[in-house]
Amino acid sequence: MALLKPAQSRLFLTPLTGFLMLFLGFPALVNLVYSVSSVSFETLRNPQITGFGNYALVLADGEFWRSVSFSGRFALVTALAECLIGLFLALFLAPLLRAHSVLMAPLMLPLMVAPAMIGLMYRLVLHEFAGPVPYYLFLWLGDSPAFLSVENAFTALAVVEILQWTPFAFLLFYMAYSGISPDIREAAALDGAPWYRVLLWIDLPLMRPTLAIAFFIRFIDGFRVFDNVYALTGSGAGGSTTSLSIYIYQAFFKQGAIGKAVAASVLLFLASLAVLTLINLMAGTRRRA
Amino acid sequence: MRLTKTLLVVTGLILSTTGLPGLAQAKVTVLGWPGGSEETALRAVAEAYNAEPGRAEADKVELIFFNRDGFFDKLQADMAAGSDAFDINLVATYSIGRYAPYMDTIDLGADAQKTFGDSVLKTMQFEGRQYGVPTDLSLHFMYYRKDLIDALLQDEAAKAKYAEIAQKYLGKSLAPKDPDSWTWDDWAATALYFSKQVNPASPTRYGTVLQMKNLLFNMMVFQSLPRSYGGDWMDKDGKITVDSAAYRTGLELYKKLYDAGASPKDSLSYEYAETNAAFGAGQAATALQWNAAAGDLTSAEKSPAVAEVTGMVAPPAGPDGRADHIHGLGLGLNKAAKNKEGATRFLKWLATENAALAYAKAGGSPALAPEVVAKVAAERPDLVKLGDFAGKYGYVMTGATSAKALSVYELQAKEFTGYWSGQQSLDEALKKTETGMAELLKK
Repeated sequence: MALLKPAQSRLFLTPLTGFLMLFLGFPALVNLVYSVSSVSFETLRNPQITGFGNYALVLADGEFWRSVSFSGRFALVTALAECLIGLFLALFLAPLLRAHSVLMAPLMLPLMVAPAMIGLMYRLVLHEFAGPVPYYLFLWLGDSPAFLSVENAFTALAVVEILQWTPFAFLLFYMAYSGISPDIREAAALDGAPWYRVLLWIDLPLMRPTLAIAFFIRFIDGFRVFDNVYALTGSGAGGSTTSLSIYIYQAFFKQGAIGKAVAASVLLFLASLAVLTLINLMAGTRRRA
Repeated sequence: MRLTKTLLVVTGLILSTTGLPGLAQAKVTVLGWPGGSEETALRAVAEAYNAEPGRAEADKVELIFFNRDGFFDKLQADMAAGSDAFDINLVATYSIGRYAPYMDTIDLGADAQKTFGDSVLKTMQFEGRQYGVPTDLSLHFMYYRKDLIDALLQDEAAKAKYAEIAQKYLGKSLAPKDPDSWTWDDWAATALYFSKQVNPASPTRYGTVLQMKNLLFNMMVFQSLPRSYGGDWMDKDGKITVDSAAYRTGLELYKKLYDAGASPKDSLSYEYAETNAAFGAGQAATALQWNAAAGDLTSAEKSPAVAEVTGMVAPPAGPDGRADHIHGLGLGLNKAAKNKEGATRFLKWLATENAALAYAKAGGSPALAPEVVAKVAAERPDLVKLGDFAGKYGYVMTGATSAKALSVYELQAKEFTGYWSGQQSLDEALKKTETGMAELLKK
């Protein structure tokens, strides 16, 4: 017997639905209207519906595709690196953390800092005249590379992102790894399976859902990167570090091209929705299997 | 009955604590530039204005501030929404056109001309109409190391090396000069001479620090170089003239210095703060930098390595003489203001000599007419230089107060840094800039 009648359930859901409609549904609707309108800051309250011209403008804009490419590469590289390093740390540090769980707190510290602050911090850390890294490189090697030059900026930005967010992947993997019953590993050991076979055939398969979820979360987060990139290099020399979020921000505020910016944001929304749907489908397939 | 009475009392209390005082004291609300000397100075003059005898309650000024980060974007969103939360708002030279549709023009009276002079008042004009009172002015100084230049001027062997470097990199033999008579070539030769990559015996690592980050403010710093070669954004017919010999010379000179190692390798990510850090560390012989840095770079506490040996002159000269990019911050009247009369009275007062002097004494940086600035010269010697340079060399590019001026600077920043970083040719950069500017500045 159900705890609540359908009418009661609907009643309890009403405030949440109302909240979502007001704070997510309304802006989304306005976004959709603006994306097919000719609109400026002067005509925010009176947009003229003009069709899909803004979408055509965005899709024909080389800078849009360049920013999509930057965001895609950035998301892929950082998500992969964070997951691989996080997995290694989770497996390698598991015995130590089981014995001294207090060590978990310092490992999580980077997650506590706002991405914009991380960007500002590294701007200082990598500065030739104020930062410790170039200082010691000059002292020991007599030279220091240009960390934020066009050639090195992508690597520097990716490393900064990876340093901040690897603990997130590590936390998820460590919890998943800890959740595997030791009996299974003991049974495998009794059968004479070496450690790498245990890892390949027991640990990783059992951790697969967490691995997939962590990768997708980090991919989405990397794809919409804004704060630390903006603080470190802005959009980069010649626009070389323009992520999709920076592209939208610049189109909206700097160029006043509201329709174009909103159309790009709708495309970003659709791409995110596609990724989330993919995750959902994968999860559904696994459940059915 | 008791409930009705209670409701009436509660309603009365709410009205008496919220709405009614607002009606009785319709103060003038001013949205100022937060943080820094501008806020301190504005607070001081607002206090003085409110304290004047006979000041009506409705005329008293109340200040509001929010964060600097994204200030102009937030302000635009507020004003576009018709916000009446402030009667007077901040305005900057390069964004007047952007805010003009939401602002009223003001007549500041004859006093303003005497206080500031025409070239400074123009920094607050759009299409010939006055939109604000200029409160603070920004321009650029060429900062240089007096000790290094003095030593160079007295050393014959160094002069020979200097001439050799100038010949090799600039194609002409030059002799060291006093910085106040530098041309851009003299500055470039000096920058090359004081760079270890060019001259391993240089006492500094770099000869200059170029601000080359893809940032609109860096374009303002750069602009004076092509301007002194006769460059402008457009001609009198509205044709974009950025693809010119003047811009080519300026852009090529920056790239030449950067490629030669006369400026730090990371210059493409440098802006105001990085330039200060490099010059302040004693590792750069010159820097074209905002006047606002003067305080820090000459402070023994903040820049102990260079405070005593930092000199400041106007930017070097080109064939058309010297040019110094000026832009100002000011205060103007919100079209949706609730108290326009009170706001206009405050703005007119702010444009008087006494108010401008009070603002200067409180730490602000107004550019004042020579006879006015003389009255605070003892307390604010930097303002003398500011007013002097603004009057003699100050300029605003044609179109630089239009609604899309910020976008033009953004466009230039993207395309020019693309050239400096080697991602595109000079021809491509100028062509894209010209096309983009024509689109942005079309009538």
